[in-house]
Amino acid sequence: MAALQAGIETVYQDLSLLPNLTVAENVALGEQLVAGHGRLLRLLDRTRVHATAAAALGKVGLDPVEALLNSVVGDLPLAIRQRVAIARAIAAEARLVIMDEPTTSLTRHEVETLIEVVNRLLDANVAVLFVTHKLEECYRIGGDAIVFRDGLSVAQGPIESFSRARLAELMTGREIEAVRFRTGAPQPEVLLTAKGVCRGQAFRDISFTLHRGEILGITGLSDSGRNELAMALAGHLSTDSGSLFLDGQPVRIGSPSEAIDHRIGYVPEDRLSEGLFIEKSIFENAVPLILGRIAGRLGLIDRRKGRDAARGIAAGMNLNTADIDLPVGTLSGGNQQRVLIGRWLSIDPRLLILHGPTVGVDVGSKETIFRAIQEMAGRGIGLLVVSDDLPELLQNCDRILVMNAGRIVEDLRATEVDEDRIYKSMLASQAELAE
Amino acid sequence: MTVVPHMTDSPSTDPERPPTARVFAFLRAHPEAVSLILLVAICASVALINPAFLQPSSLIDMGRASVVTGLFALGVFTVLASGGIDVSFPAVGAVAMYGISTMVLNVFPGMPMALIVVLCVATGIVLGIVNGLLVHELRAPALIVTIGTLYVFRGILLVFVGTVWLMEMPSQMVAFGQWSLVDITTRGGATVSLPVYFLSFPLAAVLTWFVFNRTLMGRAIFAVGGKADVAARLGYNIRAVQVFAFAFAGGLAGMAGVIQASANRMANPFDFAGTEIIVIAAVILGGARITGGTGSVLGTVIGVLLVTVVNNVLVLVGIPSTWQRVVVGAFILMAAAFFVLRDRKATT
Repeated sequence: MAALQAGIETVYQDLSLLPNLTVAENVALGEQLVAGHGRLLRLLDRTRVHATAAAALGKVGLDPVEALLNSVVGDLPLAIRQRVAIARAIAAEARLVIMDEPTTSLTRHEVETLIEVVNRLLDANVAVLFVTHKLEECYRIGGDAIVFRDGLSVAQGPIESFSRARLAELMTGREIEAVRFRTGAPQPEVLLTAKGVCRGQAFRDISFTLHRGEILGITGLSDSGRNELAMALAGHLSTDSGSLFLDGQPVRIGSPSEAIDHRIGYVPEDRLSEGLFIEKSIFENAVPLILGRIAGRLGLIDRRKGRDAARGIAAGMNLNTADIDLPVGTLSGGNQQRVLIGRWLSIDPRLLILHGPTVGVDVGSKETIFRAIQEMAGRGIGLLVVSDDLPELLQNCDRILVMNAGRIVEDLRATEVDEDRIYKSMLASQAELAE
Repeated sequence: MTVVPHMTDSPSTDPERPPTARVFAFLRAHPEAVSLILLVAICASVALINPAFLQPSSLIDMGRASVVTGLFALGVFTVLASGGIDVSFPAVGAVAMYGISTMVLNVFPGMPMALIVVLCVATGIVLGIVNGLLVHELRAPALIVTIGTLYVFRGILLVFVGTVWLMEMPSQMVAFGQWSLVDITTRGGATVSLPVYFLSFPLAAVLTWFVFNRTLMGRAIFAVGGKADVAARLGYNIRAVQVFAFAFAGGLAGMAGVIQASANRMANPFDFAGTEIIVIAAVILGGARITGGTGSVLGTVIGVLLVTVVNNVLVLVGIPSTWQRVVVGAFILMAAAFFVLRDRKATT
């Protein structure tokens, strides 16, 4: 609230729009709220709401016709919604507008329009703080740049004074000394082949092969399609076309349970909400995939068998506790992740998809997880590591696929590339890719 | 390089789309239209089969029958729109009705009717505030909280006020129940009258409409019902919104209580039990989503009329009254199917 009163407005990554209210209300209700000091039992000045909204929408280049003002925000395309969010920010006489990764889900054309909007704001004497990891956009917008790395501001100055290479270097930090964890080598048999797999706007023409015991990294920006690809391979999202072969047999992975039937495991990016039963014990979290095996004839769970299995998993994953009745919520991020990986090991997987395996995990635990990954590869499990943590991929993978705008743009050998090389193809614009 | 098609700016007003898509878009924005069509269709077919339906007497009967459901439903709509749900209103209505009637009979026999109404509404508001505060402070699901208060309120009534039916109501309440707006003499010579209390339903509907469309609170209720965390981030006072919504529902339930007692000339502490579901059904049929942030007053009124008509006219066309439940249930399933389809269309 204090920030709002000082004239600082933020356009959050999630836009923070109210989907069930109209455009006019989303843009201009805040002004009425502030005018009434938050008191709600006041008459609504509808004429004023429309006038304020129309003025603000004009400033972001939207034609403030009644049809738009009265549209429900949830019905609008994302790019328009984003401009509505910016309009809301400037409706209240903002002096500084903070935009948090505003271009993440926009198409190229829409990014152009957004940059025009930013220029309009600058002309109107509004300061803009534009948070992004896309270098192209920095140069398009101009002005001063601040580069952050690992929570520290590492450089500051007019954007023209930095070359692209210099910026990338500042962002990644060269000095990272990569200890390579990769110990083994892939086996000759092909485990998984993808041919021309597509899903709407998310990714297209995805083709690759993965050998037994191979660790294949997939990286790209968050809007590159890597997340959707990981989820599609695990049956969490559907695909439109293309085919998958597992051990040479064509397979269809339409749902997570089909994936499990094929012994494909998936460790999700957000383990707290998607992977673990956070309030339940280690035991209960370790055994859900093997309930059939630990159940007796009447379908009743044989607790002793289950507990033995859970203990085996806990020991196998080097958990720092032997008490399998502890709720997983009390464990550290690294131990939670190990419980999750251990759960999949219980079904003896052929393929394991690790989505951001070390997000929110401390350095020591990272090592344990890396060792577990290497050990699984040694057993002939094929591993797909989807991550934007480039050191992690370079340290662990045999090959790294780089995705950009929904396609695989590079297939690199991890030993032959460095972070800059990968960053370059992650950040390359469509035009550069076409060359 | 691939060209990504640029999306149209205003998907809802594109004149080039086929008519079916436009009809669907209209229904998506105005789900209550489906219930309205159903209502008109039912009325028309019943009137064809049995013209007695259109006689003033049966219309007045239905008008009377809609009042209590209608008042409850407007309250439930308000709470649903704010993202909550209230199932305690039958107990709130019963406490207001029975508690105040008992007090008037035993302590202040001469209390003016206007004051009785005010007291009943105030009782409802107080109980509603209790609901709202519990929901907000406990951060518990409104369904659980109001199931709890449903039992607690009625339990307190039965323990501390009494369990006996009041058959002799205060004379001013009886008079209020009989105060007639219009008298109509039927062909048979009997007189049916539309009571003044019927007006409370349209008046409450107008009041609710005013709150929702002309005050900041109304918009705030929708905002909180749409996305509470976002609304909080934008500076809306969630607590005020929740307490208001439940208090508003409580006040309407109190009003429903005093009308029920006056119209029936008796007060039964067990009254209204089991009305929760039919009232919520009416609101849902009126287009409000159970997850909050949507719906309209007009839709709620249509939903109430639809439920009332179904409950009253089936007999007129020779369908046993036991079929009411089947019909209402089928309508709700249809509404549910429609809403699911609507949301699926919206996301693709």
